[in-house]
Amino acid sequence: MISVHSRSFAAKNIYVELRTRSAFSFLQGSSTPEELVTRAAELNIPALAMLDHDNVSGAPRFHMAAKKAGIRAHIGVEVTCTDGHRYPLLAESRTGYQNLCRLITRMKLRAKKGEGAATPEELAEFSKGLICLASRPDANIIDIYGAKNVYVELQRHFNRNQEAHNQALIDFARSHNLPLLATNGVSHATPQSREALDVLTCVRNKVTIHEAGRLLSMNSERYLKDARQMSRIFGDLPESIANTRELSDRLQFTLADLGYQFPKYPVPPGETMNSFLRQCVAKGERNRYYPNAFTAGLCRRAHAQIQKELALIEKLDLAGYFLIVWDIVEFCRSQNILVQGRGSAANSAVCYSLGITAVDAVAMELLFERFLSEERGEWPDIDLDLPSGDQRERVIQHVYQRYGQLGAAMTANVITYRGRSAVRDIGKVLGFSEPDLGRIAALVPSWGWTDPKDTAERQFREAGFSPENPLISKFLDLYMTIRDLPRHLGQHSGGMVICEGQLDSIVPLEPATMPGRVVIQWDKEDCADMGIIKVDLLGLGMMAVLEDSIRLIRDSYHEEVDLAHLPQDDPQVYSALQKADTIGLFQVESRAQMSCLPRLRPERFYDIVVQVAIIRPGPIVGKMLNPFLRRRQGREKPECLHPLLEPILARTLGVPLFQEQLLRMAMVVANFTGGEAEELRRAMGFKRSQARMQEIETRLRSGMTTNGIPQKTQEVIIQSITSFALYGFPESHAASFALIAYASAYLKCHYLAAFTTALLNNQPMGFYAPATLVKDAQRHGLHFKPIDVTKSDWLCTIEEHDGQLWVRLGFNYVKGLREQTAQAILTARAQAPFTSIQDLANRVPELRKDELRKLSEIGALNFITESPTHRRAAQWDSELAIRPTGPLFIDQSPVPSPQPLQPMSASERLNSDFHNTHLTIGNHPMAFHREKLNTLGVTPANQLKNVRNGWPVRTAGCIICRQRPGTAKGLLFLSIEDETGVSNAVVMPDVFDRERATILNNSYLVIEGEMQNIDNVLTVRAAHFEPLHVAEEAVPSHDFH
Amino acid sequence: MFACIHSPEADLSAIAEAFSPSFEQTAPGTIVFKIDALRRLYTTHQQIAQAIIKKAGPDANVAIAETADAAILAAHNFRGISISPNLQQLNIASLPMEQEMWEVLESWGIHTLAQLAALPETGIAERFGPAGVHLQRLARGATERPLKIFKPEITYADRISLDHPVSLLEPLLFLIARILNDQCEKLLSHAMSANEITIHLELEDKSEHIRTLRLPVPMRESKSLLKLLQMDLEAHPPQAATQALSVTIKPVHPRTIQAGIFLPITPAPDKLELTLARIRGIVGESNVGTPELLNTHHPHPFQMSKHQPPATSHQPPTIRQAFRYFRPPLPAKIDLQNHRPTRIASPGITGKIQTAAGPWRTTGDWWTTQPWNRDEWDITLSNNSLYRIYREPTNLWFIEGTYD
Repeated sequence: MISVHSRSFAAKNIYVELRTRSAFSFLQGSSTPEELVTRAAELNIPALAMLDHDNVSGAPRFHMAAKKAGIRAHIGVEVTCTDGHRYPLLAESRTGYQNLCRLITRMKLRAKKGEGAATPEELAEFSKGLICLASRPDANIIDIYGAKNVYVELQRHFNRNQEAHNQALIDFARSHNLPLLATNGVSHATPQSREALDVLTCVRNKVTIHEAGRLLSMNSERYLKDARQMSRIFGDLPESIANTRELSDRLQFTLADLGYQFPKYPVPPGETMNSFLRQCVAKGERNRYYPNAFTAGLCRRAHAQIQKELALIEKLDLAGYFLIVWDIVEFCRSQNILVQGRGSAANSAVCYSLGITAVDAVAMELLFERFLSEERGEWPDIDLDLPSGDQRERVIQHVYQRYGQLGAAMTANVITYRGRSAVRDIGKVLGFSEPDLGRIAALVPSWGWTDPKDTAERQFREAGFSPENPLISKFLDLYMTIRDLPRHLGQHSGGMVICEGQLDSIVPLEPATMPGRVVIQWDKEDCADMGIIKVDLLGLGMMAVLEDSIRLIRDSYHEEVDLAHLPQDDPQVYSALQKADTIGLFQVESRAQMSCLPRLRPERFYDIVVQVAIIRPGPIVGKMLNPFLRRRQGREKPECLHPLLEPILARTLGVPLFQEQLLRMAMVVANFTGGEAEELRRAMGFKRSQARMQEIETRLRSGMTTNGIPQKTQEVIIQSITSFALYGFPESHAASFALIAYASAYLKCHYLAAFTTALLNNQPMGFYAPATLVKDAQRHGLHFKPIDVTKSDWLCTIEEHDGQLWVRLGFNYVKGLREQTAQAILTARAQAPFTSIQDLANRVPELRKDELRKLSEIGALNFITESPTHRRAAQWDSELAIRPTGPLFIDQSPVPSPQPLQPMSASERLNSDFHNTHLTIGNHPMAFHREKLNTLGVTPANQLKNVRNGWPVRTAGCIICRQRPGTAKGLLFLSIEDETGVSNAVVMPDVFDRERATILNNSYLVIEGEMQNIDNVLTVRAAHFEPLHVAEEAVPSHDFH
Repeated sequence: MFACIHSPEADLSAIAEAFSPSFEQTAPGTIVFKIDALRRLYTTHQQIAQAIIKKAGPDANVAIAETADAAILAAHNFRGISISPNLQQLNIASLPMEQEMWEVLESWGIHTLAQLAALPETGIAERFGPAGVHLQRLARGATERPLKIFKPEITYADRISLDHPVSLLEPLLFLIARILNDQCEKLLSHAMSANEITIHLELEDKSEHIRTLRLPVPMRESKSLLKLLQMDLEAHPPQAATQALSVTIKPVHPRTIQAGIFLPITPAPDKLELTLARIRGIVGESNVGTPELLNTHHPHPFQMSKHQPPATSHQPPTIRQAFRYFRPPLPAKIDLQNHRPTRIASPGITGKIQTAAGPWRTTGDWWTTQPWNRDEWDITLSNNSLYRIYREPTNLWFIEGTYD
């Protein structure tokens, strides 16, 4: 084409595309690695090289997709250099790949997040094993990489200027005797995805498409072309095509050859890791399973199990991993940081003996193979729950220090384009106005439930946009293309990878936004695919609450609580659970859990394990909830789906509830091997799993047919298994969570002041707003004291009065008051008590006027003088203290004058409390209107139990939660709070459609409907809503989970 | 006593002028003036208010009060006529104050003017300073101040209505010249110039003909302005006879530039503009000016923009091969072999193609209803002439131009 000479070309040439860029070049490519590989397979391209910009984030996905498609995946990177150019580098060998990773790590770690460039000296330092594609005539490249490792890259995109550049490159290659290499500089798999690339280009340059001009692609030629097309384009330079194959043959490295090794644990002299692990486990076993007359059988079983596990651990050479996790747990213990293993590790008796988990896998008969199996050839996965916040950060920093900055790092989290972000970015690029963007963004479903009648076209039409409008239609196309493309790299909340030697030779490391953190360029799934072992250090708000509670109990109750030795089967705990009195408790406090608890009526620990696992989309969609509850209540006979499943499902009354059960079911009914069952598990939890689930379904069916299982039963089994794709708990995980749930319930029942204080100090967390937690605690008899500048700390504290413990609210609840100011108040107060508001203002210069105003408005300054005053009087004085007096009068006390303002009324105090602290310790807003509500026939929440099933009822309150879960077929659930408690209402889809505005736009509602009072589960089936004008401010509603 | 008229619709200055020569325009839609002198014409305040509202229309609010500020407050807050009304129950939001002060007063439970008025003055002064004291006086109706007398802006717009429609340009220009002479004198006396002139012709067929000339340099010579208008009207004549005309000038401060001593002499800006206007009249508006390169890959990446005197530049001009566009492009018949052009036939340009480089492909504007997509080739013929040819998506070939 380009040349003035026409030549024939060999259509059967093999061409390897050695320069593709995926969407992992973040806004510089518009196809995923999978799309590129799929297209390459369609075009019979035998190998493909992916070179993203300064990263290998897409490499694992590229490698896995290529493996599946039977294509060779070459890894490379386009490295930015300080001279302003980008060097396309391909890894020829493992050394080359390691050099590439080290080079990127070096340049990234010294720069800000998202920046960094290598110096020419660094390119030379890390040049071994790399091939450079010279895209400009520069002899320095030959000096750095050697003539044998430089290919002069030619690209032809039907561009006049590019051809002039190519001529210079050809001359350069001829004069230096370098081989020519044809590439297409692919940025998108197909010509159609060029449009998405143009949009991403605009996003990257922060311009609209109308302003972008020459920033956009000149044409759509940077797509994946086959050998025939490329041979025709390079008909005048056939060697440039032939060289692609030659170079591809040279590139021996793939990610299968990563060379990852987990670090060895330093053991005492004379010990091996295996022997040391045996010692540690034996010591732990003695503590955990102290044999006596009652436990002899259990101890024997435990010992046998431990020996079995240790043998497997030794065989798989995993002793180092267990010791490292044990070491982290020991560090936590030594620092008094609460820690508990969760996930499949809780299936292991070794983990239990080492103190990594708190669940006795032997006593609970948990499936060890779920955690570790020889067949799977995969690393085990141990997740550690830690108190969220500073404590978790301390553990993370400990791991960094122990294994070095280049030996440990957090896993990345690839942030992809989601509904709203895609809408916003595309809309801005297409030049939509801000109001239009808002309207379109509002169309993106943000709640779980989506009406099946909803199509993008219909939604757009209803919002006043015509899908026939070319721009809108283009918008819709782009939305479908761009959704789910990677946007940028974030940091996973807790996953850490550790490596023997240098982690930076396995994967490049980058600085995280948070100082002191280092992140690898791969996400959690990629690490699993690449066989890299990781430890999840997860922050759990409730762990922080438990830890704080223990401290508060020690200080205020003068008692020592050991969570590992809480009294089992505490009647108060089970009574509270059976009554669904669970606000603030871990995992069992949600509306759905509360509606299930009175039916399940937990009586022992295993019931809590079931309770935690059952309210999940998996069991709900799999229609397992109701059969289980009916069987539990004795209304239905426990029956297994098939006699083969009897041993697996017996203890859950014939209903599969846990992941382990489903895996075993697959093994028994469809002859799955352990490895296949594990594949099934990963497909369940895997976000890109739709296609994999379908493959597995086919295999399940054929296995069941072989075993002669009737078609109807097959359907039920398939339904049970595939519904877990949405979400299902492993039994071990549920057991770990149930322990925390039990501990939280125990503390709430016995140490309410400490538990509530700890809960309030660790917000935001859980299902309810602090206002609801306070009201619930008050209904349980706990007293609160207001925020007071003479008494409060930054956090809530416990005070003793008349032999009772009261909770004093802390400054952290004053909206807009900075912690720095609060600390300054505390320091000044420690030196001498404040004598007046003026004194406070003088001695705490950090106090801003808005902060002082807030403190006076919520009554925090009422007790600053000897004779307590009211809020308005404090406001009057505060305003004077705010006004600068000048140096002359700074020490002069203001002349006392009578304050002229009227005290706040009760409703004014209430509004002020909600406005400035989002909660009140005074009366509930509904209490002020009870008389009027009584005349309207409104039943308080605590009286609903007296209304018979099916009777009409009218209730009212503040809406604290509106929830429309994806599993509930369009039903809306409301939680309504009044001064007597929390009640629930359910809204049918037709009622919701009719009353939508009233329900969504009002904080207080009167609800009329029919009482559903079954098995002590109380729900109002709402038929009509009316707004209720109670207070200007309200408890913030927790909407649309 | 003061009267205040509040109406967002009516032309209040004209109404106020009917009652008082001096008045204050407090805000757009609010005017206040003294009415003591009107007591000689009207017996009661009620009569004065009624006379005002008769002129201002039924939608206006008219208030009469002791002080100007009280009258303004009343006119803003009471509908129709109000004579010395009780302002004490008004919400404090009706007072002009900053958001922060309003928030503080609200949080104190102070919602009405009466509540604000009742607070101790010293306390207010200590907490809010002079602004607070002023506000409290407003609330008490105790402010006294002179009016800020309204001075109308000088306008440069004149209109002539004709008894008989004029259909010829010459008599029309005579009328325009009259207006322009007056306006240019006014410009001179106020030391101003014009950078935009608009002529508005009301035509016999009830339509309008509006022409606006934006001048590259501010001018105030009536002759030059007239000549520019004349050429513009010749190029864009009205479709019917003119019944009325108005000329509006946008005044700006004149530009004073001292030319560089070593710079070549250029024509006077007004003369240059006249010359360009003449050329525009001949070749059409879109064909005169300075070519401006557009930020696009589009095959026609430039537009003609208004001529601007070139800024002095010390950069040496870059030497590039020039391309001469054929306008319009010449249709051609092209023979192809292996997808490559081999022969061209077009009036005046015919022969075997010696060499062809291409295709050079551009596509773009895919988000519009007019996306483009074309392949270009550079070809040489036996006489060594070098042409650019292109193919439209319709498969028609054209010669776009030649390389110099």
